[in-house]
Amino acid sequence: MRGHRDLKWVCLAAIVTALVAGLVPWELVRLPAALALAIFLPGYAITAAAFGSQRLDPQRLAMLILLCGISLLCIGGILLTFLPGGLRTLSWAILLVVVILAAARAAALRRGKPDGSRRAWKRPRPRVVDLVCVVLALAVATAALVFAYTPLPASKAVGSTALWMLPAKGTAERAVDIGVISAEQERQYYRLEVRAGEGGAPTTYHLALDPGDERVFEVPLESASGKTRVVASLYDSERPHRLYRRVAARVAGSPSGGG
Amino acid sequence: MTSGFPGLASATSALMSLTGMSSFGAGVILIGLARLLLVVALFVLFTRVSDSHRLAGIAVIIYAGSSNFLYWGVQYSYESLSLPLLVAVLAAFAEREAASPKLLRAWVVPIVLGTLAVIVTHHLTSYALVIVLLALALIYRLVRSPKPNPWPFAVFAAVLAVGWMVVAAGNTVDYLSPVFSGAVSSFWNTIFGESKARGLFQSPSADIVYKTPFVARLVTLAAVGLLLLGYFAGFREAWARRAKRPFVILFCFGGAAFFATLGLRLAPGAWETGNRAGMYLFIGLAFVVAYAVLRLMRAGPRLLLRRAALLACMGIVVIGGAIAGWPWDSQLAQPTRITAGGTEIESEPITLAHWIGAHLPERKFAAADADARMILAPGGAKAKTGDALAIKTILPETSLSNWELPSLRGNGLGFIAADRRIEATDPGRGSFFYVPGSEGDALLPLAAMHKFGKRSLGRVYDSGNIVVFNLRDRP
Repeated sequence: MRGHRDLKWVCLAAIVTALVAGLVPWELVRLPAALALAIFLPGYAITAAAFGSQRLDPQRLAMLILLCGISLLCIGGILLTFLPGGLRTLSWAILLVVVILAAARAAALRRGKPDGSRRAWKRPRPRVVDLVCVVLALAVATAALVFAYTPLPASKAVGSTALWMLPAKGTAERAVDIGVISAEQERQYYRLEVRAGEGGAPTTYHLALDPGDERVFEVPLESASGKTRVVASLYDSERPHRLYRRVAARVAGSPSGGG
Repeated sequence: MTSGFPGLASATSALMSLTGMSSFGAGVILIGLARLLLVVALFVLFTRVSDSHRLAGIAVIIYAGSSNFLYWGVQYSYESLSLPLLVAVLAAFAEREAASPKLLRAWVVPIVLGTLAVIVTHHLTSYALVIVLLALALIYRLVRSPKPNPWPFAVFAAVLAVGWMVVAAGNTVDYLSPVFSGAVSSFWNTIFGESKARGLFQSPSADIVYKTPFVARLVTLAAVGLLLLGYFAGFREAWARRAKRPFVILFCFGGAAFFATLGLRLAPGAWETGNRAGMYLFIGLAFVVAYAVLRLMRAGPRLLLRRAALLACMGIVVIGGAIAGWPWDSQLAQPTRITAGGTEIESEPITLAHWIGAHLPERKFAAADADARMILAPGGAKAKTGDALAIKTILPETSLSNWELPSLRGNGLGFIAADRRIEATDPGRGSFFYVPGSEGDALLPLAAMHKFGKRSLGRVYDSGNIVVFNLRDRP
């Protein structure tokens, strides 16, 4: 690799990006490293190995990098499935680093003696109007992304209220967690009735929720043997006698729910 | 079919593993890169075949008028990845054709790598690649091109495609043959008047009818008319290059075939075949039409007026293509997240998905198509849907057969998400807010939900339209 500056950088970047992708917990840091490791570095190395010292236009180089990089990912997964590590971060990182180093080595051999000045690609010489177009395109794309991720009011959309019930976790006694989630457009008032067992009187809760709020109640159950049927009914204050939401479960000593 | 063509899943898995992102995020990035590859590869291909950067740029813009460019092609689906790979392979092949003898071998590497990727990613694209390479080999022979005949690449791709079908994707024939036989019989039945022709701009689903406004229909028809005009106007100049670049013959025939496939849109069982074929054939059409555009842009009287008219026409082609390729009501996505009272709230299916993510991650659900996607991401759980375990049949029916719940339990499912919204079966619309009075506000009968209650299954979640039943909680 001596004398081939681009290939040296590619090999170094492969190792660094593999370490970042494997060890760093933050997605924002891992993403650029992973994209370089998965697409751009192998694409560049394979292209360099195929074309040796031939210089390529930026658009042809870009196409080849993407074609080789994406193709390698499509095929690599099939290969890894048959290897002991399977499809994991470590196995992908090892495969990609090995391919990059091998392709870079092959490229160095194909290029032969370095002449010190040549790049594998021709330096683009954009005109001012080209740069303006690129900046405008980036601005439009950024604006579109910002707009797409900005929630707006939608008066016709119907909000929803969710009632849920699951066996309580982390408590010594038998209990259920009952939650009410409001995804309504306005503040809502509710009455929640919880009935445990067949003959017991219901426990009633009154609550008010703003849009986006959630309220969870831990309801202890009598420690009777066997399963207890628990029914939670939610009523909307606007129509207090009409059942709005209902959940029901048979609760044993341990959390239920399979799958 | 995904298991038989794992290219897309393999690439997504790599990005998920290395970035730590969800399948949604990794999928968006992957398809974004594929789109970038498509545009660059089209530009390289058109540049090489026309020897003109200007024409190539125009042809790429015209290709954006393909009915599947703006919407269909950006979906997370295997064809969205395989089509750019196919175009890149063709571009590499065109480059090889024009390369000096010492570089012939260099171009083999991307061609072979790309061909392998296409074969393991999508059945139809791999067969399209084989057909294109065989057609090119035939054209080279017929025009007695001095360039090396591409038959070795055609044979290589054909052997790989057949080999892959035999070894890894044996059910491809069973999967594709009903589609094609249905398309052929539907087409003939429509021609001979045995079945009614499909109305244009109609949703294929009988349950939900979305109307396309008159002006939008007019723009689409005008776009097709302009393309036809452009094809005739550009054909002569494009055809004149056939001796130098045999690719041109393929493009000219492809452009003509595009108009032939428009006829398939009138047959109810063949419209999708015609629509999908259009994506490939439009490459040739864009190339030929670009010659007409270039002709009108040449210096001469009223140049400014001509340029303005061209700009308007290209706008009509691109907008018309988008209208033709996607239902009118979905041209702009409906809200899934809105502001209310100074805070953000989410649609019913997404609220469910986040609740599952918080309380029941990794669990297995049966759900309607759109809900299943939300349960997978952002829900972080697993979901079966559609034809799997007859879930498509079980969810809307008003009573249960005795075998159905045991079948779901026996296959490891723990929960069933029953959704009254008929749109829940539509992955393109089912995750939006419910809007009463809209065309998609139809609900299933209440009995479709009550049938689970009659079996006394536990109800763990109820948000009105969506109720989650616990399949393990039973008397």
